Amino acid sequence: MKNIFRNCIYQGKNRYRDKSFLFWTLIYPLIMAIFFYTAFNGLIDIELESIDIGIKSENPIGFILEEIELLNVHKISEDEINEKLENEEIQGFIDNDLNLLVSKSGINQTIIKEIIDQIKQMGELNVPIEKFDFTIDYVLDRNQKADAIIIIFYSLIAMVSTYGIFPGIETVSLIQANLTNVGKRINVTPLKKNDFLLAGVIVSLILNLLSNGILLIFIKYILKIDLFTEIRYSAIFIIIGNLFGVALGMLIGASNKQSGNVKTILGIMITLVLSFFSGMMSPDIKILVDKKIPLIGKINPISIITDNLYKINLLENTQNVNQGIIILSIYCITLIFISYGFLRRKTYDSI
Amino acid sequence: MTVYKYFIKIALKNKGVILSYTIIFFILSIINGSTNAQRETSFMETKLDIGIVDNSGSELSKSLIEYLGKKNNIIDTISDEKYIKEQIFLEIVDAVIIIPKDFEEKVINKERAIELYNDDRKIESYQIQNQINKFISFTNATYEDGKFDLSSVGIALDEGIKVNLLKIDNNDVNQKANTWFKFYFNFTSYIIMAIYIAVIGFVMTDFINKEVENRRKISSIKFLKFNREIYLGQLTIASFITLVFILGSIVLKGKYIGEVDFSKYVINTIVFSFSALCLVFLINNITNNKFIISGISTVLSLGTSFISGVMVPQQLLGEKVLTIAKFFPTYYFVKINETNISSFLDVKYEIFMQLLFAMAFLLMGLYFSKVKQKA
Repeated sequence: MKNIFRNCIYQGKNRYRDKSFLFWTLIYPLIMAIFFYTAFNGLIDIELESIDIGIKSENPIGFILEEIELLNVHKISEDEINEKLENEEIQGFIDNDLNLLVSKSGINQTIIKEIIDQIKQMGELNVPIEKFDFTIDYVLDRNQKADAIIIIFYSLIAMVSTYGIFPGIETVSLIQANLTNVGKRINVTPLKKNDFLLAGVIVSLILNLLSNGILLIFIKYILKIDLFTEIRYSAIFIIIGNLFGVALGMLIGASNKQSGNVKTILGIMITLVLSFFSGMMSPDIKILVDKKIPLIGKINPISIITDNLYKINLLENTQNVNQGIIILSIYCITLIFISYGFLRRKTYDSI
Repeated sequence: MTVYKYFIKIALKNKGVILSYTIIFFILSIINGSTNAQRETSFMETKLDIGIVDNSGSELSKSLIEYLGKKNNIIDTISDEKYIKEQIFLEIVDAVIIIPKDFEEKVINKERAIELYNDDRKIESYQIQNQINKFISFTNATYEDGKFDLSSVGIALDEGIKVNLLKIDNNDVNQKANTWFKFYFNFTSYIIMAIYIAVIGFVMTDFINKEVENRRKISSIKFLKFNREIYLGQLTIASFITLVFILGSIVLKGKYIGEVDFSKYVINTIVFSFSALCLVFLINNITNNKFIISGISTVLSLGTSFISGVMVPQQLLGEKVLTIAKFFPTYYFVKINETNISSFLDVKYEIFMQLLFAMAFLLMGLYFSKVKQKA
């Protein structure tokens, strides 16, 4: 126990002095958060815009159209029609015979068509006009905001939580005699490798959780975005994400003889790709992938963390969280097992 | 050509970086490109994706569903609020409507008869609400002697106005295919920049390595020749990478290149690649630390893409963000892709800006290399 504690202190100091570690786990996430914030800030507050339509001043239904709140009626002359449509100053032009002229197909044009349709359809139904009552709203609105944009922040947190990958790589490199000088020294001392490894995992977890904490504080208090409403499950996923990262880092560190730099880049690439598919660059990508190849989202660890984080916090839905926890735990155990396989009973004839 | 040969050799050792970026990029382009890119010839109504839960099962509810089905795509959903909320949040559906058991009664009493899950900040929600209210108001107007006249309502609602599509004469560009090409080439700017900085940067660190440099200094090879071969190597690798992405677009959507302004995209990509290469030159003269290079590669390529409109359209970005973006060539690259041009004179300013950046990067790079030589 004392050994582990001492190892923890040394490894912690060592890690703290490593600039590469500090950059990737501490500064890089903050830079990313700032980028996301600046790029998506405008998108978080969207508002319904009214639709611009054009009519001639003598249009028979002009007075009806002006009553409709969503429409913005412009009275224009014959020779302005094409120009205004092309420049998208108006989305559609309604002539005096109620024909619609548009420059492209789209949701706004469809809405204009539906409105004009209705006027024609009312005539078709052969019912006295006073029987229609359009003042009644038959719809009970259950508003659910569709804010896929916020996914990128959860995805960022998911990615950063797996950044335990870097200390994971470092720890394993330190005990391999063929990779580092420290490894050589450790191998000739009576120091137990298991203790050293365990201490490494503990230090990695603590340091990465600490940097996660800094990122979360930054997002909450400086960028002022509220992401977390449910702390317990969110914390479980972030911690298990950290464990996954450390385990993956150990595997990358133990499985090949590349230099530390190459391994770090490998770690960045893997996490970047996984986060990419979980929607970090653009939520559209996540939606696209979920639609076309749903399996990717189900097995991608960063997707699992991202999905669960927004489900728990935004949709207040804690069903099926266990499923995610189990899959991630299986990943962690498997990865640790494999890397242990690489590391155990290694002896060197010469170095 | 010893230097050149080894430059290429070391560059190919980094094929992992090139391959991983390229593969993700192409997977994404293929997924994105599976939608059809036929030219728009007539007006098409936009269909929303809606889910319907029918707890009533009455004739009235069935004809409502039939009506909505004609106007929209019906997506499977289940009667579980959490599931529905997630579907809407992820924009898998635009709206979900729930028809209650006592639907008919509520309609007759003119109460709120339909529960609608949607995002009311979006224009689509107006559309679906309007459709539902229209259908119910129409049926209620026919209510007589305890009965609705659903068949007349059906006939009336099938009626519609004529919509004409304005023929715009902009060099016969196929808008749908153009959208794909825009997305594709905008995204290449991210990938090209990331790969250039990473791969060329890594190779250069091997060359600028102290030991290698000392050996080179005592060798018979002239400094000028050495540099020439290095730049030739960089140019080869860069051209190869850019070529892969240009060819990629032909492989994926080759049959549409006649319908979009393909030469615009190609020339723009080549100009951008050149300025990205000059940026790499600058970075290599500032640092030869692999760790810093991989940091810059990720941060700079992602960052400029975010603020320049690669990931989100430029018109959605704030004024301030775009002002910062103007200090990077990516902004002008994206701008050209987004502009419909009749000749290259329309975008001469943007092309000029990219070349200007290239020059600026080169000069700054030269300055830093001079400073280093003196040190």
